[in-house]
Amino acid sequence: MTATSQATQDVVFDVDHVTLRFGGVVSLNDVTLQMYRGEILAVIGPNGAGKTSLFNSLTGVYTPQEGTVTVAGRAGDAPVSVIGKKTHVVNHLGVARTFQNIRLFPALTALENVKVGIETRQKSGPIAAMLGMPWQRREEKESTATALALLNDVGLPGRGNELAGALAYGEQRRLEIARALGTNPGVLLLDEPAAGTNPVEKRDLAELISRINRERGVSILLIEHDMKLVMSIAHRIIVLNFGEKIAEGTPQEIQRDPVVVAAYLGTSAEDAQQQAEQAPELTLIDTDTVQDEEQADD
Amino acid sequence: MNTATRATLRRLAACLLGGFVLALMVGRQEGSLNDFGISFHQAVVGPRIFVFLLIGLVIFVMVTFWPRVVPYLTRPGVAPLGAGLLAVLAAQTVMNWYDPLVSSTGNGKFSGVRTAANASPNLSSVSVAFFGWLAWTLVIAALVACAAAIVTRVRVFGYVTAAIGIVGAVLAYVAHSAVVDLDGGIDHSLGVYADIVGFLLLACAGITAVHARAEVADTRGFLRKVMGYRPGLPIAALGVILGLLAFSTAGWFGALQINDTLAQAHSDFDGTGISSLALNYLGWLGWTLFGAAAVLSLAATYLRNRMLAWVSLILSVVGVVLTFLTLRSMTDIGAQVAPQFGGTWKNLGAGGFLACIVFSLFAAATAMVISSTSAGVRRNVRAKAPTDELPVTSMVKGFRRSSNAMPLLIIGGALALFYPPTLTLTWQNVLVGQIGVFVLLAVGLNVVVGWAGLLDLGYIAFYEIGSYTTAYLVGALPVKPPSWLQMSPLVSIPFAILACLIAGVLLGAPTLRLRGDYLAIVTLGFGEIIQILAVNNPGGFTGGPQGPTVPHPRIHLGGINITWGQDNLPYWYLLLIMLIVVIVLFYRLEGSRLGRAWAAIREDEVAAQASGVNTTRVKLLAFAIGASTSALAGSFFATQVGYFDPSLFTLQASILIVAYVVFGGMGSLQGAIAGAAVLTWLPQFLKAQVPQDDRQMWIGALVLAMMIFRPAGLLPAKRRKAELEGLDAAASSETAAVPRAGAM
Amino acid sequence: MSQSENWVQQLPQNIIIGLEQGSVYSLIALGYTLVYGVLQLINFAHSEVFMAGGFGSYLVVNGIVGHRHMTGVMVPLTVLCGVLSGALTGAAIAWLLEKVAYKTLRRSGAPKLAFLISAIGASLFLSNLAGKLFNRLPNNAFPTYFDINHQLFKIGNAKVTLIEVIIVGSAVVMMIFLDRLVNRTKLGRGIRAVAEDAPTAALMGIDIDKTISRTFVIGGALAGAAGFMFGTAFGVSNLMGFTPGVKAFAAAVLGGIGNIRGAMIGGLILGQAEVLIAALPFVGAQWNDVISFVVLVLILLVRPTGILGERLGRAA
Repeated sequence: MTATSQATQDVVFDVDHVTLRFGGVVSLNDVTLQMYRGEILAVIGPNGAGKTSLFNSLTGVYTPQEGTVTVAGRAGDAPVSVIGKKTHVVNHLGVARTFQNIRLFPALTALENVKVGIETRQKSGPIAAMLGMPWQRREEKESTATALALLNDVGLPGRGNELAGALAYGEQRRLEIARALGTNPGVLLLDEPAAGTNPVEKRDLAELISRINRERGVSILLIEHDMKLVMSIAHRIIVLNFGEKIAEGTPQEIQRDPVVVAAYLGTSAEDAQQQAEQAPELTLIDTDTVQDEEQADD
Repeated sequence: MNTATRATLRRLAACLLGGFVLALMVGRQEGSLNDFGISFHQAVVGPRIFVFLLIGLVIFVMVTFWPRVVPYLTRPGVAPLGAGLLAVLAAQTVMNWYDPLVSSTGNGKFSGVRTAANASPNLSSVSVAFFGWLAWTLVIAALVACAAAIVTRVRVFGYVTAAIGIVGAVLAYVAHSAVVDLDGGIDHSLGVYADIVGFLLLACAGITAVHARAEVADTRGFLRKVMGYRPGLPIAALGVILGLLAFSTAGWFGALQINDTLAQAHSDFDGTGISSLALNYLGWLGWTLFGAAAVLSLAATYLRNRMLAWVSLILSVVGVVLTFLTLRSMTDIGAQVAPQFGGTWKNLGAGGFLACIVFSLFAAATAMVISSTSAGVRRNVRAKAPTDELPVTSMVKGFRRSSNAMPLLIIGGALALFYPPTLTLTWQNVLVGQIGVFVLLAVGLNVVVGWAGLLDLGYIAFYEIGSYTTAYLVGALPVKPPSWLQMSPLVSIPFAILACLIAGVLLGAPTLRLRGDYLAIVTLGFGEIIQILAVNNPGGFTGGPQGPTVPHPRIHLGGINITWGQDNLPYWYLLLIMLIVVIVLFYRLEGSRLGRAWAAIREDEVAAQASGVNTTRVKLLAFAIGASTSALAGSFFATQVGYFDPSLFTLQASILIVAYVVFGGMGSLQGAIAGAAVLTWLPQFLKAQVPQDDRQMWIGALVLAMMIFRPAGLLPAKRRKAELEGLDAAASSETAAVPRAGAM
Repeated sequence: MSQSENWVQQLPQNIIIGLEQGSVYSLIALGYTLVYGVLQLINFAHSEVFMAGGFGSYLVVNGIVGHRHMTGVMVPLTVLCGVLSGALTGAAIAWLLEKVAYKTLRRSGAPKLAFLISAIGASLFLSNLAGKLFNRLPNNAFPTYFDINHQLFKIGNAKVTLIEVIIVGSAVVMMIFLDRLVNRTKLGRGIRAVAEDAPTAALMGIDIDKTISRTFVIGGALAGAAGFMFGTAFGVSNLMGFTPGVKAFAAAVLGGIGNIRGAMIGGLILGQAEVLIAALPFVGAQWNDVISFVVLVLILLVRPTGILGERLGRAA
């Protein structure tokens, strides 16, 4: 996917000069970015770079002091501002998300978790449910069938009746994605989906994310520390540091960008460039492991 | 070693303290203004304190040597032994054995019968001995023999236990019927039956202990095997046993100092002008019907034959109908003979209703055969289809099947229909005014607290609003409604519900954004405000502390005229209809998208929002649905009780309903029902056990103990239960590590 | 018009009465707020701790005074004994309560409502056990070893009685003591740390179980002392805890539950609001309970987390 073709595509998220402050701390500083339909966009940056703040601004959790954020969730939607919108309204606009520290409904079964997501799009009310009206039963069957299909799709076939809290860690991650997909989103926001997973799970996850993007046509915004994962599946990468966007481009461009390397290593751009020229592939892989260690400390 | 000793000492201190507190709790003493600490003195000084300290010591020993006891506790035979002991102990200490003694001496329990038996010279010596010393000796002998059987697994011990158990059961039956025959009063007591069941369980325990091949008992597996062996067979067997009791010894008609069994009723009613159908029923038809239905249903369940099942089903329904016709014509005759005592549906003993229960059990057993065989047919068909073709639909079907609850539901239904008529008037009153109403309230509050996870401490306010709305609409308040709005009590129910819906939304809309504990205090305040409003009576609307008098309900619809009066039974059936409707509706609601959305916000509100759940709307719905159930209960209560005053709607009542819901098992419909039923039944039960004023104390202790030892409640919700079990397992593995370290 | 003038005239007197009531509320509310801070749980049995303090101090004071009439230095000494014995009883009961009704549940990881219900069970149990052991009369007057309504001095035309001075004075002393304790001592640091983030506090070597237990003890001591004061002024009974308990709970929420200074302020505000609004010409004493809850609801609607906001850890 090249830059020229992106310009003609329609925009999913349009973040325009957004500044977000908490008291005196500037969390996002004049950030402008676009996310295009059908792409996998990764947002990376060191801890505290403002990734999660960006995430929360996109989903209406935080209200930026300056700037606008608009979303056109599904293809053909008109852009709508998310600022000040309630979380569930943003979700209804076609924006689904997962959480960094998995937030499932642990006491519900896996199937029910997915059904909760699906059913927020349904119409039948409590009285229809109490009386068991035919349309309510039809919706119920539909949601069960859709949920089972989704569970199969994310690689949890036959696990529907397990309690979500009893699933293995990697399975919970997948279940969260299934629940998000249940709301029929145009764009899926993944907050560090690979955190805490092992290499095999990571590979499967990368495959899953790419497949969702490919087969369902869902645009994906990915916040992730794992560079291998990001580099392998992202179409485009945006780098944040200290609340500012410092770089944007394809994975190859970002890997060679001295500013990015400097941000990760904390050295000056010139030094980083020298290092990068000496061993272009190694630098980011190194920072990657450093990051992982930091996370382990957390 | 040192820390282990300290832990042991601490445990000893805790156990002794427990014994001390128990000493304070037990007894009849109470302080007075003159001698402030007199009861404290009496409880603690004197030899009785040592008894309680000893109890503490025994508990300490048991807890400390628990690991050595545990291997024996998992042996086969222990579970029936425990159940049997519990049943016998309950029967011989707290349950009633003979109702007429309650009215004459105030003690109808085992000990009361003992006193009466000693005083009556005409009683057979076996009965006197049984009540005097034999029963307890048998219990202890059975316990010792069974313990020996479990530990040594020598067959003789097992057989001895079984013999003792059977002898005990037979003697209990003989001794009790001797007392009843001698006195001849109307008796609804259940003590002897619990005693018989207990002794028989002890016998089973003995046999199991020496004959089971497994080292570790699998009680649940065994029960499941028994229930699953032939669907409906256990129910049919239960029906046969109960039926034998009903048709041979149970009282069918009791008035003017007579207490007729079926056969006696036949001779007494012969020639009184009773309808020939009823006379035939009393003579031979009843027995024949029972026998035929019993044989047919046993055969149908054993052979799993649909044909037989249908025949038996029809026969059982006919049996219920004929029994009713007979009872009706008996009471009509009774009313003619002695109008001052009689009346239609009056003076009936337990026998007739027991017969109805029996026939419904047969019907249920055969219905299970019919449903299970048809399901089996379908399952076979599906099994032939290639499984990979339609995995989704077959899984959908798979989730819907839950047949374990079926037998319980049937038995519960039969009991709800036919047991209340055999109760004494006091208990009927309790059943309607306490148990029934509070079950309805608990079911409603369960929506708010259990399902949606919103702590509502002012739930009683909606009940109050419902009651007062009904009182207003029937014109019982000082402020009368316009004449076109004045209506009869039952018609006012929808309006009461509407009023509560509005109140619920008015309260909920501004406050539901508050987090859990803030919501609790705001709802608490709401409840207080509503109650004080009713007491303070601004504008003369409520009539103040006196409260209104509401007329009893009646229905005039076309040709149907039903009037409810002072009698409690008709209210019970009205309430039962309401309860069943509400429970069925809520059961469906729980499995609907709204039910799941409630569970979602209860589990994780943020995640629910992010999944597109409109939390405000969903919470408001929970509030509104809970409030309208409360309105239904309030409306019913107002018209049933006839007169009420605002002192009933206190904060304590609100808190108690929350306690019912959580005690029963938060978020589980059957839990809420069970919790409310048990905790409203308990004070009435305790009336006969402890001083009147101490009941609250015992209930408090019970609730506390329940939460400590079983925090998930009496009947935990299925999903929630699994969640808790995981945590329990983790905790118990930790606690199990302590004694091991101590042993080193 | 004359009625509202009346209200203004009575204002100083009412403020003093409100201060007296508010001090008792504050002392009880502190217990709610401390426990909430460390456990995020409403301790529904706290009102029974207050009741126990009342009875404990009654027994001690009755033992000391009997039918004698105290004079001179014996009066403050007896008051001191009463406060101490009330505090000790309250602390002991609160300690036991935590061990029985909370610790076991905490270990089994029970849901939050289970704690609430076990506390309700404990509350039912304690109040009725006290009724059984002592009596169930609505009021047992304390021995009158001094004239509680003795007028000490006047502020304007408002009389200040001895009991008012004792209640407000000891409440202030105890609150200052508590504030110091929480903000200056190691134990206080532990409490604040557990309130802020229990798992991290545990990693820092703080014994969470002990800290929670001590928090209960501190809260219980304050409530027990309040029980003595309340008992001296109004008498003790086995149900005396209920109404002040509910009000104090409201006060704790009003100030921002989990916030120590919030509880103090909440109690004082609630005391004042009750007395002053009930004295308004078109209201009346029978609306007392309604007033406190209406005030609470109104404030919560404006400030959903109370006046000072929650967080025990940041109270300092």
